[in-house]
Amino acid sequence: MSKQPTGAQEFIHVPCPFCGLLCDDLRIAVAERAATVLANGCAKSQRLFRAIADADATPLVNGKPATIEVAASNAAAILREARQPVLISAGTDVAGMRALLELAERTGGIVDHDAGDAIMRNLLVLQDSGWISTTLTEVRNRADLLIVAGTDISSRFPRFFERLFGKFDPLFTTREREICFLGAIPQDLPTSLKARATSLAVGPQRLGEVFGALRGLLAGRTLTAQTVAGVSMEELAALLARMRKAHYGVLTWAAADLAFPHAELAIQTMCELVTALNVSGRFAVLPLGGTDGDLTTAQVTTWQTGFPLRVSFAGGLPTYDPWQHSAQALLARNEADAVVFVSALDYAHAPPESDAPAIVLGRPGTRSGDRSVFIPVATPGIHHAGHLFRTDNVVAIGVRKLAESTLPSAAQALQTILGAMEKQQ
Amino acid sequence: MIRLRDGRLYDPANGIDGEVRDLFVNAGRIVAAPAAGTHIDREIDLRGRIVMAGAIDLHTHIGGGKVNIARAMLPEDHRHSAFASTSQTRSGSGHAAPSTFATGYRYAEMGYTACFEPAILPVNARQAHMEMGDTPIVDKGGYALLGNDDFLLRLMASGADQQLFNDYVAWTLHATQCIGIKVVNPGGISAFKFNARKLDVDEPHPHYRVTPRAILATLTRALHDLRVPFPLHVHASNLGVPGNVETTLATMDAAGGLPIHLTHIQFHSYGTEGERKFSSAAARIADAINRQQNVSTDVGQIMFGQTVTASADTMAQHRNSHHAHPDKWVCMDIECDAGCGVVPFRYRDGNFVNALQWAIGLELFLRVQDPWRVFLTTDHPNGAPFTSYPHLIRLLMDRDFRNQKLAQIHPEAAAHSELAGLGREYSLYEIAIMTRAAPARSLGLADRGHLSAGAAADITVYEDLPDREKMFTAPEYVFKDGELVAQRGRIVKSTNGATHVVRPDFDRGIEKSLRDYFERYHTIAFDNFAISADELGECGSRESLVHACARGVR
Repeated sequence: MSKQPTGAQEFIHVPCPFCGLLCDDLRIAVAERAATVLANGCAKSQRLFRAIADADATPLVNGKPATIEVAASNAAAILREARQPVLISAGTDVAGMRALLELAERTGGIVDHDAGDAIMRNLLVLQDSGWISTTLTEVRNRADLLIVAGTDISSRFPRFFERLFGKFDPLFTTREREICFLGAIPQDLPTSLKARATSLAVGPQRLGEVFGALRGLLAGRTLTAQTVAGVSMEELAALLARMRKAHYGVLTWAAADLAFPHAELAIQTMCELVTALNVSGRFAVLPLGGTDGDLTTAQVTTWQTGFPLRVSFAGGLPTYDPWQHSAQALLARNEADAVVFVSALDYAHAPPESDAPAIVLGRPGTRSGDRSVFIPVATPGIHHAGHLFRTDNVVAIGVRKLAESTLPSAAQALQTILGAMEKQQ
Repeated sequence: MIRLRDGRLYDPANGIDGEVRDLFVNAGRIVAAPAAGTHIDREIDLRGRIVMAGAIDLHTHIGGGKVNIARAMLPEDHRHSAFASTSQTRSGSGHAAPSTFATGYRYAEMGYTACFEPAILPVNARQAHMEMGDTPIVDKGGYALLGNDDFLLRLMASGADQQLFNDYVAWTLHATQCIGIKVVNPGGISAFKFNARKLDVDEPHPHYRVTPRAILATLTRALHDLRVPFPLHVHASNLGVPGNVETTLATMDAAGGLPIHLTHIQFHSYGTEGERKFSSAAARIADAINRQQNVSTDVGQIMFGQTVTASADTMAQHRNSHHAHPDKWVCMDIECDAGCGVVPFRYRDGNFVNALQWAIGLELFLRVQDPWRVFLTTDHPNGAPFTSYPHLIRLLMDRDFRNQKLAQIHPEAAAHSELAGLGREYSLYEIAIMTRAAPARSLGLADRGHLSAGAAADITVYEDLPDREKMFTAPEYVFKDGELVAQRGRIVKSTNGATHVVRPDFDRGIEKSLRDYFERYHTIAFDNFAISADELGECGSRESLVHACARGVR
């Protein structure tokens, strides 16, 4: 961990907004132009807390510096001309989403998240059959078997194993806690866990077959195949036996890592196996997400419109279509003529390539392109307080203000654009 | 100043039963008649109109994780009910699980001015307050869920002193910005995580070895000691199970004479008589309530049609998941705190059990004699969406209408029910008690639910129509804090409501144990758990209204 710079103000129990775990045990020192994670950070949190220097960031119109009023006025003009704007969140808090939805309603736009495809893989299952799920504190204290399907977890959620399977006494489970990877055992898994970890070599695209076979075995069906997705029936039967023996088993996946057509069907099969295991025992799923505010976007969109994502206000009232209202697909087909792109958490995101003029509200350093309006915005959890939803979709964390900023929050910048639209009417 | 002239007032808190009077409103409050010559900005002639305080729903699932799961899960509930924005209102959608904006508008259009979310998991309180912050016009409040949380159950297992529980309950009310405490299936949600499928009132929890009866006694005592006005809000064990009447009577008994509220009691009033081993125990339950002055209840009436059930009771929701219609459902174990289950459901009048449930609810309304102790709810959306209240009011006020409807349900259910023999018709005065005066008094809202000078000017004006369903569907005027917000069932101005809370005194020493507990076991830090008054504002609340904790409020 880094050393504390001199003259810095120190904060403890700081929530980190940069992945879906929303770890809130960070120790951070903030000096005039830099935040340093002193304890409990990961590489991602160190990178994204560090970059707080923003005083030089200025709005740009077509690449040229402008005042925020001029930028907002240009943004309003783009939106006034647009017949089908799309509004994409790539990372904002609850307040930012509230404002983005208001702007979408006002402009007849379509709302999506930058990671919309991944979110929809889980949502389609929720809307078709549902699941029995669990949350992080339950996993930490209760899980005696973790099945990890098609992800290494830690490249997206670096402190998952440390926080949920680390060196502490859980409340309930006294058994040796087992972890089984469907895929490979990650190289960087803590040594203490490696000894207890097992794996079955299954590619993500074949998870559906494996879980379908497990469902069949659980239901007492006779399967004539010798192997399924390269796994022998004996290995499958042994895995199922372990799952049935668990007092509280957990099956987890990261939808973002299941990037193949109709991955929702594999996820659905996993959920159905877990539901079936609950006829006589306890088992739960833990869908992993929450990074870049994706669950925050879905939660706010759900409570304000009744639909979780991919909502269009083109006809005035909210309509939902998981396929037609994909922002990426609309832009790829040149069916959208303006883009609003909000990325207040990570400067590494950029709007999808398209011919449409873009209005980018981003952390300083976000690429915005030539035909665009760029408004630099403050970061929730560094420059202003805000709310974000954690991977389990239950816990909303209040992130904190650690440092001053001259930049507006995404919500404020969006309200400025709404104000400019009002003036131009 | 506004003068509401010559309306017929039903104001049970002040014993006013249909007297013609003027009301004066100034700066958001009802005020005494001003001196002659005072300038009146607006005068509204209410001759022949009926005037009541704004209605209060003390049990309606309007915000929080389980409601949002229900919304996300059911695009089919929303597709045909979506509406566009206007100059005054935002867009939205939904029938059984309406969007937040839809919830606020539909309540206000019906003359409701306050709604209480009855199942706020402490760890999910932020979300509940954010959703309620986006629910316009009406005031909001919530009940924090205890009694399945590991901290309390461990403390009970260790035989801790009552004072510690009192401090923990008070700390929870502060930390969650709530006005009351609810327990759902005491110990049962936790027991389900240990693979138990039922937990009776005197059955020890499989892990902690404490009984639901002891949990009920501890929590009722804590609220009494802390002088919290609102009694423990109890969703009893064995919801929906035939024969659960015994459980429900035992639950009342567990309060030991201290105030206790049994919620959606319709789902807890079942016997096992008859060929189908499912019968009404409404008479026994109502008798017990009539005898025990410490008991209040709300009914949780069911109505026929599509809805969705959303509950913290994972044990019951998992047991009933095979009834899901459409066939999809969610159960969730949450944070060593509680759980939630969401199961869409379609109540059918041709189904024996559903038809009898409908009759049992009405029987309870008609058999409980004291309208101050029985509140009008459908346990929205579990029994039916709240928009069915006007229909329910007509069923209570109009015996002929009720008997017509009874003739349409499953004939065996109708034959098994004693509903036809119950001639009672609720009066407007009694409706005003159960939807205004009584909930306000129970919650300790001193300046709501009545029309005296000093009260908040939450006022609903109805046309006196013989069709009470029509009358209560679209009031002529609805005032919220003195502003006209709805007229003839349409929103004319959207405002933001306040949040009702209590903040009882307690010994902050409990925070040391809690801090240690959070650090050892939880995935959120103690310092990030509690919601401050400022943060409540960030969630979207206009302001928090803190109500007194004092004996004699009830």
